[in-house]
Amino acid sequence: MSRKILYLFAIIIPFFSSVFAQSHLSADSTARLLDEVVVTATRTENKVSNVPLPIQVISAKSIRLSGSQKLIDILQMQSGLVVANNPLGISLQGYPNPFGNGIQMQGLDPAYTLILINGEPLIGRNAGIVNLGRIAIGNIKQIEIIRGPATCLYGSDALAGVINIITEIPEKNSFSFQTHYATNNTLGLTAAAILKQKKTALELFANRYSSDGYDLDKNIYGKTIDPFTDYSASAKFIYDINDKSKFTLSGRFFSEKQFNNYLIYTESQPQVVKGTTTETDKSLYARFDHKVNTGLNYTGSLYATSYNNNATVFVKKTDSLYEKIELDELMIRPEVQVNIGKDPSSLFVSGAGYNFETINSTRYSSQKRMNSWYVFVQKQMQWKERTNIILGARFDKNSLYPAQLSPKLAIAYKLNPAFIIKGSIGAGFKAPDFRQQFLNFSNSLIGYALFGAQELGHGLQELQKTGQISPDIDIAPYLAPGDLSPEKSIGINAGFDYTINEHAVVKVNLFRNDISNLIESYNLPFNKTNNQAIYSYMNLNKVFTEGAEANFSYIFNSNFSLHGGYQYLIAKDKEVLHQIEEKKLFKRDPVTYETSLVTKEEYKGLYNRSRHTSNLRFQYSNILYKASAFITAKYRGSYGFSSLNGFQNGSGVYDDDRESVNGFVLLNTTLSKQIGNRWDVQAGIENILNYTNKLLMPNIYGRSYFINVNFKLEK
Amino acid sequence: MKMKTMKLSVLAFAALTIGIASCEKDKDKTPVETKISVTDSIEIPFSSNKYTFYSFKDSSVVSNSDSATNKWDFGIRFVNIIVNSNASGPGNGGVIVQPGAYDNFTTAPTTGYSYDTSAIKPAIDAGFTSGWYIYNPNDPTHTFYPKAGQFFVFRTADNHYAKMEILAVKYSGYTGPNTPPTTLIYKFRYTYQADGSRNF
Repeated sequence: MSRKILYLFAIIIPFFSSVFAQSHLSADSTARLLDEVVVTATRTENKVSNVPLPIQVISAKSIRLSGSQKLIDILQMQSGLVVANNPLGISLQGYPNPFGNGIQMQGLDPAYTLILINGEPLIGRNAGIVNLGRIAIGNIKQIEIIRGPATCLYGSDALAGVINIITEIPEKNSFSFQTHYATNNTLGLTAAAILKQKKTALELFANRYSSDGYDLDKNIYGKTIDPFTDYSASAKFIYDINDKSKFTLSGRFFSEKQFNNYLIYTESQPQVVKGTTTETDKSLYARFDHKVNTGLNYTGSLYATSYNNNATVFVKKTDSLYEKIELDELMIRPEVQVNIGKDPSSLFVSGAGYNFETINSTRYSSQKRMNSWYVFVQKQMQWKERTNIILGARFDKNSLYPAQLSPKLAIAYKLNPAFIIKGSIGAGFKAPDFRQQFLNFSNSLIGYALFGAQELGHGLQELQKTGQISPDIDIAPYLAPGDLSPEKSIGINAGFDYTINEHAVVKVNLFRNDISNLIESYNLPFNKTNNQAIYSYMNLNKVFTEGAEANFSYIFNSNFSLHGGYQYLIAKDKEVLHQIEEKKLFKRDPVTYETSLVTKEEYKGLYNRSRHTSNLRFQYSNILYKASAFITAKYRGSYGFSSLNGFQNGSGVYDDDRESVNGFVLLNTTLSKQIGNRWDVQAGIENILNYTNKLLMPNIYGRSYFINVNFKLEK
Repeated sequence: MKMKTMKLSVLAFAALTIGIASCEKDKDKTPVETKISVTDSIEIPFSSNKYTFYSFKDSSVVSNSDSATNKWDFGIRFVNIIVNSNASGPGNGGVIVQPGAYDNFTTAPTTGYSYDTSAIKPAIDAGFTSGWYIYNPNDPTHTFYPKAGQFFVFRTADNHYAKMEILAVKYSGYTGPNTPPTTLIYKFRYTYQADGSRNF
């Protein structure tokens, strides 16, 4: 497979380069690389070249040209980002997660990347994963991706980095409408309007997206992806009170209804269950910006967001309730931020906020609360014109675990205007989530029990009282309230941005993340009287990820551009390395049953991590014919999966090629043609090579086709 | 049955070595080889509330009606393994979950043997995250794979010593994914010392 890819790239690159070379001679050379303005890296507006951190910007234009409707499809085509469907802890064994797909960044699982919309976090993670389908992409201005710990500004969860979705700023009166139709009877309808007056601006956005889903494995009852319908809407209102003050009010709503239909086993008898899963996400954001003078401004904001997930399924034959799981999460966050300084590259930024979080679930004993407050400070400095320094720290105090201090230092040195060396080091943490703290769940079908660390003592007492744990078991050692610590990381990034000329740039970044205190589930050394296990959570593993990422962009002229990237990644469990060193890790040949030691060379690292990933994107616009072409390819190299095809040598770690899943390429193309001034039509093929893997990549449907009709009126 | 013949051939091999040893006995005065090394397979129901019992000495499954006797050394039900003593039986059995290479292990220790303190607190951990096997719930074969570099040292019901390693656990009658299997086949090897010493 990988050889095929090399051929493919080998063919594509020279072909396109010759096309570019020719057009470069004749076409205008006004198009050049943009020094984009980003807000995520420093919480203030800054040019990419002035920020000493690895930043990637996905522009509205490339999102539009891709014709894609789903954020996850856009993200998975970026270099170094991989769709992963598991939380880090469990993925040490390589289990896919039934709760959907998230983005793996720098080899860290979805739970370790913070997802923001306009700087505010999305809540409602299921087993650590935010369903990215909750984010409609029709009104995105740009997506900013910061790699490396951003905890010093954003708090918990931002260990691998931050993905911040910036929505459009209403500037011009406009109305637009889009119809999207694709394979699997997928229909997307989007409408957006901007009303701009002297002092006020209003942006409205609505999207309906539905699909029949699909079935990758006919041998298993039910569809791989069940049919669903999504509704999203958002509104943003901006009022310029005067030259110095501005008021913003925005709201978001998302709702997804999925129709479930699958098989369960009760006493080994298969039964069909049917029902629905509804996910609802709402948020409201109010913000006041005031410029006191040219050197001082501040922002006060209030963010409130709620998330609800309700799954109700019935046994089809008897129409009796099989299971109802409900989860309600709420977060309210007031925050202030003060920016002092005139020069955007030497600002002093400080802020403070308070999080009120509550959660209510059928799987928790009662409503749970988690309150925390935080302060952050950040100083940007420019030293002798050539050096940019950011020094920052954040202090988080949570009601449930020890206070966390997360400092960060980042330095950029301009060797010359074209060559900038960047380096940063920062601490990050991930707070134990609600599930790890408060889960109180007994599986009615199999009969096992699972308790969050805070619930364990109480849960065991209850089980013993009701006779589900025999009275002669000594539960005393487990009664003290669990003291889960946050998972902690130190992240180092170092590299350079080299602008070869006004058309070409190369960016290289080396990274290393050391994570300790990983929270994992474990089973207690005794069972319930029904002989089923009892599980809880504790801090266990230490892992690291390291690697290198290189990206290039070549803007030939305003018509042609080529972008590519490559990531090399190593991710390993430190405890496994220690066991190998101590000669304590064995494997057993599944044929001869001979036992031997696992060597350091054999240990390939954590499951579900590709050593090699790369991408290539080609954009072509023909102004004369008002047409454009967008081709993007993503290669995900081979990765490990525990017990692949029934192979397991008993070591429990990825140390044998027979556990390697072949790499694959996703190749998408989109053609766009503008008709008149207001209409344009797009047609595309996704996954041209028709890659599927029903077991490991259920999110990837085979080759599919789509057509978009877009209308835009602008004044 | 296939596994029966396998067992017989191993026994035959053991007998042969004993034969050779006895021939040499006169010359070298080496003691009679009293240990037996066997690779065996037993088939147990996938779902049952009864244990399948096994005797090292006889290299055979012991009837379930003998559960209250010293005739068996260990029992298996699904992935749960019990030892004949205390909460599980009248014997003097015990077990050590021993890390390391099976072949290099030559002497059983005198102490350190655990037993089943109650039906729900067995000596051999069969838990999903900490037990003697590896199980990936998303592996479509749903196989339990015995961890490598880990075996069991048994003190038998009648105070003999044996070391035992589970080599593989397979399903039979499993056509999946919509029907559960009917039986589990445990393949294991052991060395049993009949003279009562702790040497293998």
